[in-house]
Amino acid sequence: MKKRLKLALVLVVLSATLIPAQFGWAADKVRGVTDTEILIGQWGPQTGPAAAWGAVARGTGVFFDLVNEEGGIAGRKIKYFMRDDAYQPSKTKAIAKEFVENLGVFGVASGVGTSTGMAARDYLMENKVPWVGPATGSKHWSDPLQKYLFAVYPRYTDEASLLTQYLVEKLGKKKIAFFYQNDDYGKEGLEGAQNYAKRAGLQLAAEIPVEVTDTDLKSHALKLKESGAEAVILWILPKHAPIILGQAKAIGFEPQWVASSTLSDSHLMYKITKGLWEGVIYANFLNIESPLAKKYLEAQKKFAPNEQYTGIFFLAGFVFVEPMVEGLKRAGKDLTPDTFVKAMETIRNWNDWLGYDCTFTPQDHQGMKSTFISKCGPEGQQIKISDWMTYKGE
Amino acid sequence: MTSRKNNSVIPHALQVDQKNDLFILFFRRREAILPIANLLTWVGKDSETYRCLTMDMKRDYYEDIQLCKTRTALVLTIALFCCLMIIPFLLGDYNIYIVNLIAIHAIVAIGLNILVGYTGQISLGHAGFFAIGAYTSVLLMVKGGVPFPVALLAAGFVSAGFGFLLGLPSLRLEGPYLAIATLGFGMAVTQIISHWDFAGGHMGLAAPKMSIGPFVADTGLEQYAIIMSVAAIMTIAAINLMKTRVGRALVAIRDSEIAAEAMGVNVLKYKTLAFAISAFYTGVGGALMAFALAHISAGSFNLILSITFLAMIIVGGLGSIMGSILGAALLTYLQIKLQVIQEAPIVGPILLDISKRFFTAEGLPNIQSIIIGGIMIGIVIFEPLGMRGIYLRFKRYWRMWPF
Repeated sequence: MKKRLKLALVLVVLSATLIPAQFGWAADKVRGVTDTEILIGQWGPQTGPAAAWGAVARGTGVFFDLVNEEGGIAGRKIKYFMRDDAYQPSKTKAIAKEFVENLGVFGVASGVGTSTGMAARDYLMENKVPWVGPATGSKHWSDPLQKYLFAVYPRYTDEASLLTQYLVEKLGKKKIAFFYQNDDYGKEGLEGAQNYAKRAGLQLAAEIPVEVTDTDLKSHALKLKESGAEAVILWILPKHAPIILGQAKAIGFEPQWVASSTLSDSHLMYKITKGLWEGVIYANFLNIESPLAKKYLEAQKKFAPNEQYTGIFFLAGFVFVEPMVEGLKRAGKDLTPDTFVKAMETIRNWNDWLGYDCTFTPQDHQGMKSTFISKCGPEGQQIKISDWMTYKGE
Repeated sequence: MTSRKNNSVIPHALQVDQKNDLFILFFRRREAILPIANLLTWVGKDSETYRCLTMDMKRDYYEDIQLCKTRTALVLTIALFCCLMIIPFLLGDYNIYIVNLIAIHAIVAIGLNILVGYTGQISLGHAGFFAIGAYTSVLLMVKGGVPFPVALLAAGFVSAGFGFLLGLPSLRLEGPYLAIATLGFGMAVTQIISHWDFAGGHMGLAAPKMSIGPFVADTGLEQYAIIMSVAAIMTIAAINLMKTRVGRALVAIRDSEIAAEAMGVNVLKYKTLAFAISAFYTGVGGALMAFALAHISAGSFNLILSITFLAMIIVGGLGSIMGSILGAALLTYLQIKLQVIQEAPIVGPILLDISKRFFTAEGLPNIQSIIIGGIMIGIVIFEPLGMRGIYLRFKRYWRMWPF
């Protein structure tokens, strides 16, 4: 009995310590901004099915450490809060409420996931929380326009349209098949490819969907072969890429494979496809050869030496948030959500980052619409084969 | 009903528990306890107190079906309701949201417990019912223009309909086979919804605001009013249901299907009914969740959610309404609060240090899974009755404490 009592006491103490300290903020001040600090939060799955994408949030942490080390922004240091939502929307919304109410953050940086972000979007907007760079290419972020939300990730539709255009105009491919994941990630890609095809007066040779849970892609490969496509665009998960490439090769079908930016980690793809990835061309919106990337990876060695994953997702944590830091710098000393929005909207064709031509206007909060094409080299290295291409609209 | 005089309580109780160490420690003389004993018994000034102090004995059927068996229980229940009415005004929006989540999960846990704890059937597919409830209510309101209370009930009944259908195979399937069948159901529902363009596909749907007549639930506080009322009504309904013929039939099926059938319990009827009731609760919970989140998408109703529900009732206590609520509260609270463990005083920095030194950068968030897993293992090994078992032991212990 006494042991149990002790156990209960321990539990009570433990749960009491779990109640986080309440950060108060006076009403006349701007939420999340003090003379010395700017509070910024981010959620990202560190556990659960999507944990691999959690590297984005950790990358952002290193980026803020770097910014602070370089002197911060207008005399203020960034205080960064990272939360694990395990890719569950109910937790994401709880985190958003915690950010706004308990911690009183100024803004939210990036954040992985479309459904998770959508659970928090309206709440953040109602509370005037600036949010920059959600880490998916969904059109939900910039369409319809939200005053305090700035999208950085190029829309999947734009990217697919550019890729198709490149195939038709630069490589002279006429018969293009589209192999896509049967959800909105894949469907938005398909929509983009169809849009371009329609404008060019073409017809896609085949549109083959694949379910996330499928593991045997033989029938898919056969259908693609039957369509006689010269090039196949892949809008799928990394785990499906080795399967479809392997099974297509087994039945003697070797078209030009083309992949979306979600498959742009060429070293990783080369490894998991056991070399089949060589020669694949893919879209890319993150300039990994830029000197900035080198600087960021050095910062990682300094601030997060234990980090195991330093690939594209980790650097994505930098690229999605770079415009936010630029906006904070431009807003300067007098920082409120509204001055921040105004400052963000002065960013035009800005290139001092890993991305390209960041532009925000009061009418359009989709910051990046550009992509470039790379080819996977014999050792899995990335060979840039095109310049930046920008989506100009219909 | 025989009644004893109040003052006869003390000597009896003393005889029962005189060996108690604590008593010897604090009260060396018998007289010293009298005022405390009186304090403890002032709420119940009749024979019920005596009975409550000795054992839970029921002497007739009507006594058994009473909602509050003693005056103490009644007073405590009223106090609980008062607390539930007051706390939202003391909590901030963030904490209200957590309480709302707890209430929703409690509804689901009660529903699942009716199936698993009372009837002895397993289900790994309750996320499916949860999704059906959420989508039914939102689709009815958005596409059908149905008012919220109707949509909420409809969510429950549509879900119950599917529960009935899933209950049919349960007549032939048992144990792991039933687990797989329900698992398949849960996954199929998510797949179908995510490919159904009318329901928003993978994008999901934005949920409108809850409203009853002119009252629109804009803030967390107003949502709390609706969610907590529904939760309270459904809890009382479940407590009562388990005391009726239906509840006893379900328990009989759990204890022995053949014996139950021999006693005249229609196994077919009550098994499918258990599935339907359970699905009804889960469907209503799902509908409320849709409005609390304001946006639903198929991906969030996954297998992990089904297992979390199951974990809630195992941690809370199988075959107990109160256990369901306790389990839902504990797991929901831990899931939300363990995300911020690094900011807890004392414990947080230590854990952060340990994780930085020995684990990878991703190490700390996994503490959440480790703690929840640890609690579940601990409960299954040391307290098979779950949190309700702990409560019962405490109750028995404190009831006699000073004596």
